[in-house]
Amino acid sequence: MAEEQGIETVHCTVNGMAVEVPKGTRMIDAAAHVGSDVPHYCYHPGLSAPAQCRLCLVEVEGSPKLLPACVTVVQEGNVIRTESEAALEARKAVLEFLLVNHPLDCPVCDQSGECKLQDYVSAEGPAMGRLADAKRIVGVDDFGGDVLFNGDRCVMCTRCVRFMREVAQDERLGVVQRGSRAVIDTFFDDGLDGNIWADNVVDICPVGALVSKDFLHRARAWDLDRTPSICPNCSQGCNITLQVRDNEVMRLKPRPNDAVNGHWMCDVGRLDYQWINRKGRIEAPLVREGDRFVPMSWSDTLPRLVDAVRALSSQRGGAVVSPFLSNEDLGAARRVMEAVGGGRSVYRVETGESVVLPGFPQLALREDRAANVRGSQLFGFERVGDGCATGGLEAVDNAEFLLVAGDDLEDAPADFGSGARLFIYIGQLLNPAARNAHFVLPATTFAEMEGTFTNVNDHVQRFWPALRPPGMARPVWQILGVLLSGLNGSPAPARPADAFALLGAARPEFGQLRFEDLGATGNPLSGAATAPAGS
Amino acid sequence: MGDGGVQKNPGFAGITGDFNLTEAEVRGTDYVGQRPLDGGHPAVAGTMPYQVPPKAVDGPIFVGPFEERLEKVLTRYEDRRGALLPALGIAHEARGYLSPEAMEEVAERLQLAPAYVRGVATFYTMYNLRPVGRHLIQVCTNISCNLCGGEDVLQAFLQATGTGMGEVSADGQFTVIEVECLGACGFPTVVQINDRFFENVQPADAGRILEELR
Repeated sequence: MAEEQGIETVHCTVNGMAVEVPKGTRMIDAAAHVGSDVPHYCYHPGLSAPAQCRLCLVEVEGSPKLLPACVTVVQEGNVIRTESEAALEARKAVLEFLLVNHPLDCPVCDQSGECKLQDYVSAEGPAMGRLADAKRIVGVDDFGGDVLFNGDRCVMCTRCVRFMREVAQDERLGVVQRGSRAVIDTFFDDGLDGNIWADNVVDICPVGALVSKDFLHRARAWDLDRTPSICPNCSQGCNITLQVRDNEVMRLKPRPNDAVNGHWMCDVGRLDYQWINRKGRIEAPLVREGDRFVPMSWSDTLPRLVDAVRALSSQRGGAVVSPFLSNEDLGAARRVMEAVGGGRSVYRVETGESVVLPGFPQLALREDRAANVRGSQLFGFERVGDGCATGGLEAVDNAEFLLVAGDDLEDAPADFGSGARLFIYIGQLLNPAARNAHFVLPATTFAEMEGTFTNVNDHVQRFWPALRPPGMARPVWQILGVLLSGLNGSPAPARPADAFALLGAARPEFGQLRFEDLGATGNPLSGAATAPAGS
Repeated sequence: MGDGGVQKNPGFAGITGDFNLTEAEVRGTDYVGQRPLDGGHPAVAGTMPYQVPPKAVDGPIFVGPFEERLEKVLTRYEDRRGALLPALGIAHEARGYLSPEAMEEVAERLQLAPAYVRGVATFYTMYNLRPVGRHLIQVCTNISCNLCGGEDVLQAFLQATGTGMGEVSADGQFTVIEVECLGACGFPTVVQINDRFFENVQPADAGRILEELR
């Protein structure tokens, strides 16, 4: 396939398997191509490779010495053996040296279970160390921000130093001292405070030397369920994994996607996940009867909802949606508004300062602090309110049909929507203003459903359900899909893919995408004709 | 440094008696004793100091002659990063050791990250990171000297100065440290005091050498 695209290729053999790779491929990547993971610490695909950890040594036929696979480029006809006796012997020796000072405090180490030193030593390390002397003690240093440094566990791969130098371009970390005394440190008391990209050094640390204070001792790596998702906290749409234990999000970790976030994400997005775990959610549909709410099943609620909407003749409509809703939710809300004769449709979003990652400028903490602001715009919603996602609700004050989806109405006046003849509230929390609704319907958050977001560069990306929704909560698109089905007789979408397929009717660009084709890394809207992401 | 009380060859061939050249004859008269105030030729303007100043001084380092010397050094390198070692050398000479403030000033002057400067300064063992006395007494205890009683010489100097290893003596005159090979294995035990070598030193010589230095 590579040749068809006109890329020059070279042939090599890795562990007896013939493989053809583009010219300039590193041996470590060629080996990964045939499923051989060559152990490595200092090499990281997002950083320069100094070849200093000496762990990725492989045997290459014709070479008098073992070669570091992370910097050696495959030449035509190379015969590479990653598991040869000499290579295994060399790596075993390196691992033994690393264990000379490593504390082996795995039982209390946060990295345990996802630690590369654990993995490599158990795979091919020595069974016992031979050094009888005492280990070096460095201790713990608080680097500021969310980063805690356990010097004893460090293997001196310098990934963190190179990340701060090359990617964050804010060289706050360095190697201090030399030889067995070398440690990673900041400039005396300076620390990493104020750099919002600092937590990435925790992700790239192959061992437990750099750990997150937020996550410290909160969960073991093997207890976490990992679900691919999209960071909801700004319109960049960084690819993440939601790491969940006992139906509670424990942390967010970046997931590589060269088109959007590379290997990185910011601390602002990463540490703002507590709202996903909010308690006190609405768990059942509540239907107003007189001045009280009656909890009902969906099968009782939805026919009443359809009847109530049908009973309205053409009305002044109004809708308030949240930019945290998926494309499917927003498309359904748009179609409902069209079905009832239109009206002002608004969303509110928190804004803040934009911060670009200098070494990967496609990635920035964006001004709009919600995942689907672009989707909200595309589906015809209008921005109101101030930079704290408050105010602006007077836009829908005189609506007779009022739909609120996803917006918490936290700041709304207590009589908000009391003038509407039909007020439908679909959301997570029952704030005072929501109590004026005729229908209060429990909705899932993005973490409890499957769907798509459109990022600031029109990149449409999927996310998957990581949490069990509370009670009877359902995605907004499902609720509104049944409502629409009742209104115009069309079949209601049953799966997220069905809901996505309906988006083309509202925005033709979405019609050109197929839900299944989006995969884990998404696709740009309007095909390849648009400018690449990041421009 | 003046010749003090030492009559002949105070440093070079030590007090072995094997050589009759004076320091001026070996080094050339330009570089005997105190470094020229303007640092001399750019090639040597940033080299390690002849002598450690008595005590730390406050205020910026790169002013007056030191600024002139840094400018000279900078002409020798393509970029500022290259001039880091000699710049640290100048700061070291001005203050006797590299304090955090000194590192920060060097970083600012060369437009480098302070953390990087700290990394470099701590990597090289010849930069003092703590204040030292006016005379830095470096006793070799590596193989050759060790076989000929280097450890005893070290103890003798510690006793004669009344300090612990790496400490500054009460009068601010001396700091005694242990070093690895000084490259004069033919004349053990070797003791380097500031920039001068004292060779074939015996424990009994310690008191006399200190007297000469005072």
